[in-house]
Amino acid sequence: MNERATRTATSTSIIVRLTLLATFIVFCVRLYGLQIVRGANYQEQAAVNRLRTIDLYAPRGVIYDRNGEILARNRPSFVITVIPADLPPNDITTPVNEQRIALERLLAALGADTDPEIAIRIAEVMFLHLGREDFKDTVGTAGITLEFRLVNLETLQINDEGREILVEVPTLIPDLSDPLPAAGLLALLERAVALGSQGSSYKPVSILDLVDREQAFRVAEQTYQLPGVHVLQKPVREYPFRELAGHVLGFLGPIPKLAAEDYKAGGYDNPNESVGLNGLEYTYQDALRGQPGRRIIEVDILGRESRSVSTERESEPGLNLHLSLDIHLQQVMHDALARQLEKTGAPHGVALAMDPRDGAMLGLVSLPSYDNNIFSEGLGEEYQALEVEDDTRRPLYNYAIGGLYPPGSTFKLVTATGALAERVVDPYTVLVDRGPIYLPNFFFPDDPEQAQAFVSWNHKLNILHGSMTIVEGIGLSNDIFFYYLGGGYPNFMTGLGSERLAKWMRLYGFGELTGIDLPGEVRAFVPDEQWKRLTKAERWTTGDSYNMAIGQGDVLGTPLQVLVSTAAVANGGYVVKPQFVREMFDTQGNLQWQYEPVLQERIPVEPGLLAVVQRGMWHAVNGPAGTSGNSRVEGVTVAGKTGTAEFCAWDAEIQDCKDRDHEGNLPFHAWYTAYAPYDNPEIAVTVFVYSGGEGSTTAIPVAQETLNAYFHGTGDTAP
Amino acid sequence: MLRHFDKPLFIAVIILCGIGIAMTYSATITTIDLADYWQRQLLFTLLGAIALVTAALFDYRHLELLAQPSYFVLLASLAAVYLFGEVKGGARRWLDLGPTDVQPTEFGKFLLIVFFAWYLSRFQERIRSLPYLLGAAVLVLVPLGLVYVQPDLGMTVTLAFISGTLILINGVRLLHVLLVAFAVTAVPVWLAIQGTLQNYVQDYMVERIAIFLDPASNPDAAFNVQQALISIGNGGWIGMGWGEGSQNQLHFLRVRHTDFIFSVIAEELGYLGAVLIMGLLFFVIWRLIRIADLAQDQFGRLITLGVAALIFFQTFVNVGMNLAIMPVTGMTLPFLSYGGSSLVSMMVAVGLAQSVVMRHRKMDFS
Repeated sequence: MNERATRTATSTSIIVRLTLLATFIVFCVRLYGLQIVRGANYQEQAAVNRLRTIDLYAPRGVIYDRNGEILARNRPSFVITVIPADLPPNDITTPVNEQRIALERLLAALGADTDPEIAIRIAEVMFLHLGREDFKDTVGTAGITLEFRLVNLETLQINDEGREILVEVPTLIPDLSDPLPAAGLLALLERAVALGSQGSSYKPVSILDLVDREQAFRVAEQTYQLPGVHVLQKPVREYPFRELAGHVLGFLGPIPKLAAEDYKAGGYDNPNESVGLNGLEYTYQDALRGQPGRRIIEVDILGRESRSVSTERESEPGLNLHLSLDIHLQQVMHDALARQLEKTGAPHGVALAMDPRDGAMLGLVSLPSYDNNIFSEGLGEEYQALEVEDDTRRPLYNYAIGGLYPPGSTFKLVTATGALAERVVDPYTVLVDRGPIYLPNFFFPDDPEQAQAFVSWNHKLNILHGSMTIVEGIGLSNDIFFYYLGGGYPNFMTGLGSERLAKWMRLYGFGELTGIDLPGEVRAFVPDEQWKRLTKAERWTTGDSYNMAIGQGDVLGTPLQVLVSTAAVANGGYVVKPQFVREMFDTQGNLQWQYEPVLQERIPVEPGLLAVVQRGMWHAVNGPAGTSGNSRVEGVTVAGKTGTAEFCAWDAEIQDCKDRDHEGNLPFHAWYTAYAPYDNPEIAVTVFVYSGGEGSTTAIPVAQETLNAYFHGTGDTAP
Repeated sequence: MLRHFDKPLFIAVIILCGIGIAMTYSATITTIDLADYWQRQLLFTLLGAIALVTAALFDYRHLELLAQPSYFVLLASLAAVYLFGEVKGGARRWLDLGPTDVQPTEFGKFLLIVFFAWYLSRFQERIRSLPYLLGAAVLVLVPLGLVYVQPDLGMTVTLAFISGTLILINGVRLLHVLLVAFAVTAVPVWLAIQGTLQNYVQDYMVERIAIFLDPASNPDAAFNVQQALISIGNGGWIGMGWGEGSQNQLHFLRVRHTDFIFSVIAEELGYLGAVLIMGLLFFVIWRLIRIADLAQDQFGRLITLGVAALIFFQTFVNVGMNLAIMPVTGMTLPFLSYGGSSLVSMMVAVGLAQSVVMRHRKMDFS
């Protein structure tokens, strides 16, 4: 090599070495920037990659009756879910859609193509996810037309007076009873995954629930080939006594859309969480639910758990509820009432039993009832409406607390107490039933033809009760006697009148909610002069007082209110709050909560005078010609009061009340309310049969069987 | 002669290979299908070491005789690929030779280095005149064109880089460099003006550049690069420990035993480990440049610099891709990435350089 070449070689060598050094330094600086300067940021991203917070299931509390029978429990069940973030993403540079292929494979693994039941259930779960509109649109884009059904959906609205009312809105819902074609299911899954990806894409999206152990294991084995698919445990609520205590226990369902915000504020993060929607499941939702725990796990890129990192919060199982309800007594009440409904063809009825001393509910039957297991697996609001639509008798309705009816003669307990306390009569005052009494017409007082006649039930049977004191008046349920107490008679005596009737009605708890621990209780306004002027623009007449005195006219109450008024007579004048749940225990068996009976201030009536009302109820059962002789129970003294309440179910089509008999008389509700033992009451019973006719024939047998079972055993348990 | 065997270079290469085996183990042991890859890499390393020593013992000066045939072998094999090649993943790069498929360009790199080293050293003085330079350009453009149509952009650029480096180092006039630079830019511009550029540019190349410039255009490739950055950042100063990198072990990092082995190193061994290993790689190149300086003839010097250029270019592109300052190409990291043919050919290349340094004294009586 010549000299020039050597020089060139040396200088190129230097340039090359400098280039090398520069590259090395640039890389070191870049590496420093990534690893040290922005290291914390990337470490956080790496943690987001691998760490997942998962909810730990907290078992819902079990519900027991007073004898320890299980009324509600949890059956193991599984849910197949996908985590949208862990599904293979669709690589847009390839002609195939990787995500769709993964979902197709999942559908095949679940057997959606071969088992129509599974295809139906997947569609139902998707319906729950997407809601009516989205479901319809998604299936539509897949080129599939759905069958629809029309249901009346109850929605809560605010009326003109600012009160919440239920309004029925006709709504089209898809008919899900036939399996969708695979393309439809696939479109639904893709839509659900797309929705899931919008929020936290690591939240599992349910694809199929109510999966049994065997099938769950089969899918779990395949999750190696099904990235992003997870099998989760999600127990199903089970009610072993089915429809027997349907109205008491209620049921679970996904959080209703109307109340979603409230639940979220209360710590319910998952909008698809099952919550109590009715009955005790609703009232005690928070206690039964417990606290779901939280655990941090490490997952690989397919979303499979590699190890558990830490438990952020232990799950706290829900509290177990112990009820005062006796399921065997409930069974007797249910069967007896069902028999009477069948016999009379009445559409619905109620039977109630309570301990009058502290309000502990022993039984509550509202027929027709429903099997609440259906709703644990159910489809939410829309399809509940469908169930209702299929049964015009509205089985979901709890008539015991949700139905307002004229209480009829059972209201005479209120009138009698008021009349005695207000000194309208004393226990020895004798009044005479000489047949119907006539009130002169207000505008034509001298024309007897225009006078209004008020009859007693016995007049239709051509019986006159003659002279009697208040005890016999109650015992015979003589209406004439109570017309006098309620409205008096011109130039003869002064009755209680509107204001005092309303006062005593309120004292007995009418017009207020009883406060029972069940949702959906209603109340009626207490009719008085002002109420009538405002609602009917008419003045209050003596005739109104007459009707009110016998529990007719505008007097309304729920069967439970009648029960509470009966209990107040039985327990010496205390209006009690009816209550199902007595105690709550945690899973270790420690008492966490105990019910303190709520007794209101005693009704201001001298005990001696209230004893007269009690005597009247004794007379009805045990006295000569009493109305309720059939409710006697061997070895126990029963006191009772029948009721036969005329009612008008207004039908706009015929512009008259429905179901009048051939003489034009209105139909009757049958009532019977009683307590026993007479001397030391332990149980109060109220039976109501809608359009059941005579109280004594229709309602008494149910009460009698209930009392008999209570005192002499149901055959299943000791008394 | 043996006294001049470059022991530091050899030891550095063996350490790098050892780290490569360890990181391959860490990157593949949790994947059932790949669990034996570290054993294979160990085997390749042993084979590579034997090849290295063999190449070192072989007198590189005999290669001058093989220079011209090797060019024709290169052209013939590329032509064979063009005519009968196997198509894999949309590219025609492989020849089906019975038991195994061979990618001629893997060895073509060395054929080209040897041929070019011969051509440039043979006409070292005359290369300063334009016809000889143009001759060199034509000689290199023919195989480059054949590689380009396979298509294999990475290899085309690699070959162009090696040839270009050798021409520059051998010495050219500044005017000629400017002429070539003008031609290289003028042709695509002219084609673009004619509206026929897209006929010559492969779709996937445009796509890769587009992804590099705008990662959101391909979420999948962007995902890989993003995960690589997270892995590197996750390492911090000292790393998460060998076999403990969460990005690596939980498979968030893809193609982690080949293209992204550097990210595995950075995550598990941290900044200190990554810099140390990068330092080893640059040390290897540094030693090769030293050998080039010592070489007794221009042929040996150019061969060694060709090898150094090859190792530097692959290191630069691969690490640059891991650090997201270069676009994604399927280029391996020398000595560290898993892969038999790449490792063995790299070690043969180092063996050639050893052969040069062992014979750098013209007279050696020891």
